[in-house]
Amino acid sequence: MREAKSMGEHAPTRQRDGWVTGTLIVFCLASTVVTIVAGLIQVSFGEYSMTFGEAWRAVFNPDVVFDLDAWSAFLFGTDLPEMDTGSVVVWTLRLPRVFVGIIAGATLAVSGAIFQAVTRNELASPFVLGVSSGAGFAVLATLVVFSGLSPFLPLIAALGGTFAFAVVYTIAWKGGTNPVRLVLAGVIVNMVFQSLQQGLFFFADDLGVVQTAIAWLTGSLTGTGWGEVRIALLPAIVAVAIALAGSRQLNVLMLGERTAQSLGMRVERVRFFLSAVAILAASVAIAIAGVVSFFGLVVPHIVRNTVGGDYRRLMVGCLFAGPALMVTADVGARLALDGIQMPVGVVTGLIGGPYFLYLMRKQQSMGEL
Amino acid sequence: MDHTRQEMDREREQKRITDEDGVAVESALVGDDLELSYPTSEETIVDCARLDVPEGAVTALVGPNGSGKSTLLKALSNHLEPEAGTVRIHDEDLESFSQKELARELGVLSQENDSLGSITVEDLVYHGRYPHRGFFDGVSDEDHEAVERAIELAGIEHIRSAELGQLSGGQKQLAWIAMVLAQETDVLLLDEPTTFLDVHHQFRVLETIRQLNEEKGVTVAVILHDISQAARFADYLIAMCDGELYDWGPPEEVVTETLLADVFGVEATVRCEPELQVLPKRALPNRN
Repeated sequence: MREAKSMGEHAPTRQRDGWVTGTLIVFCLASTVVTIVAGLIQVSFGEYSMTFGEAWRAVFNPDVVFDLDAWSAFLFGTDLPEMDTGSVVVWTLRLPRVFVGIIAGATLAVSGAIFQAVTRNELASPFVLGVSSGAGFAVLATLVVFSGLSPFLPLIAALGGTFAFAVVYTIAWKGGTNPVRLVLAGVIVNMVFQSLQQGLFFFADDLGVVQTAIAWLTGSLTGTGWGEVRIALLPAIVAVAIALAGSRQLNVLMLGERTAQSLGMRVERVRFFLSAVAILAASVAIAIAGVVSFFGLVVPHIVRNTVGGDYRRLMVGCLFAGPALMVTADVGARLALDGIQMPVGVVTGLIGGPYFLYLMRKQQSMGEL
Repeated sequence: MDHTRQEMDREREQKRITDEDGVAVESALVGDDLELSYPTSEETIVDCARLDVPEGAVTALVGPNGSGKSTLLKALSNHLEPEAGTVRIHDEDLESFSQKELARELGVLSQENDSLGSITVEDLVYHGRYPHRGFFDGVSDEDHEAVERAIELAGIEHIRSAELGQLSGGQKQLAWIAMVLAQETDVLLLDEPTTFLDVHHQFRVLETIRQLNEEKGVTVAVILHDISQAARFADYLIAMCDGELYDWGPPEEVVTETLLADVFGVEATVRCEPELQVLPKRALPNRN
């Protein structure tokens, strides 16, 4: 009886675990629909053209979907069982590219959202904090100078990103860090790495190498397949899971350093740990898709504008909106120009940039965290 | 010369440990031989032999700008590591607490709270439960109750679902105070909670603090800008001047015309009847 009463007393107050709002649900559903539609377009068109119906049947072909051998071939690289041509095209060529887009989109968005909270700066993104340019430089150096190491490109990208961020953090550290110092150091380190990148181009003697390098530096999903999914899936899941669990910490961090400390948070430690998660997430994306510019900055802002600044909602929103934008952009990158595939980074810049500017003009409070 | 100095010291020593009835006062928070400075400069900003914040009372820190009040409060709340000396809370060294343990004993409200527009008052107050929750813990019934109590005590029921950005300065301050109240600590440190507020909200804040002290016996140390307000409101005053403690004790003893001239640089009349009243008249010359 007493229990029932105490339950009743709490009923009028908003349920605390009920931070999920209608807007968030609609937003996530809409993003999912966009991702699926874009994905279907992606698998339908190309040199081996199919109708939507054929593509749909190939994607949901029970012989593949429920075939453990097929999945083991996709995820562990074992021999592919026999299937019809449509299924082969869809399942080994086109669909994995969609999955890579989903993974890269989600990790980049989550990474940007974390960096924005950790540095308490709306301009922060993996790009601003040096992670992207460090990774980009490492990739370029590998392609131009140490071409023998190209099979380890993803790993090298991650190392480069981590190194650059470590430099940024060390420079910014003076008995603690603050957001302004971090971003300032990030911008400087960024410039240095970009100069180095441009300098390296002079040493490239092969035009093909230059094109590969440019594709990397602008971000491209061309030619990605199950191999990339295999590399990225596990670290992506880990990074996203920690990011989701840490969203309350990010909320407290947003209250300001002194308040967070007064509330009992070991601010430097939490900041460092969450930065590491953000680097992991960004490295995953860079390793499989290259340096997709603008993405980590824009997506969190779009999501924040729709679902609000609470990081519990923001993280979930990013997880859905990132893939939607990335897969859509990749459709444009692959199919917009006949016969030529553009790097997806060009398209994200072209879609994301104007949309971002539109939001800025429309909203009074744009950029406020 | 030395003799009179010693005598004065002894006098002060005595005043430290007894109140006006001659009863010994226990201290919730004690600073010993504190020397405080910021990492960026060599200069010692605060230097005090002993500082007591009496248990279960409201103590106001007063002093002119730059006298080291905020610096002292930072040291008391472990935001600034003392160059020398120790701070003890309930006779235990601050250093021996983990950050979260300390946050369950000691609530702190900083002077400047970063404006965070899009968070609701209720969400803000729930953040006060941070030190009571683990990394993966959800919200417990205890958290609900603490938050309800804090919101009620601060009198912000009607704005609980409003976003912080839409509120007036006074309402925001009450929301922040409710957050600290939700921490449910025995000791509370507040850095100028009434500065920049209108008179109505100044009283709302002070009344909330007083109520908290009377009903729950919470020890409060609060920096107040306005000496006449502090004199009427606090049980004890600590007057600071140039990084040193000038005087401390019950307001009737501390607030004198000499103090106002020496510490604040104003000529003022102090009346004790019917209640302690400070009437500042004009600034004294020869002060920077």
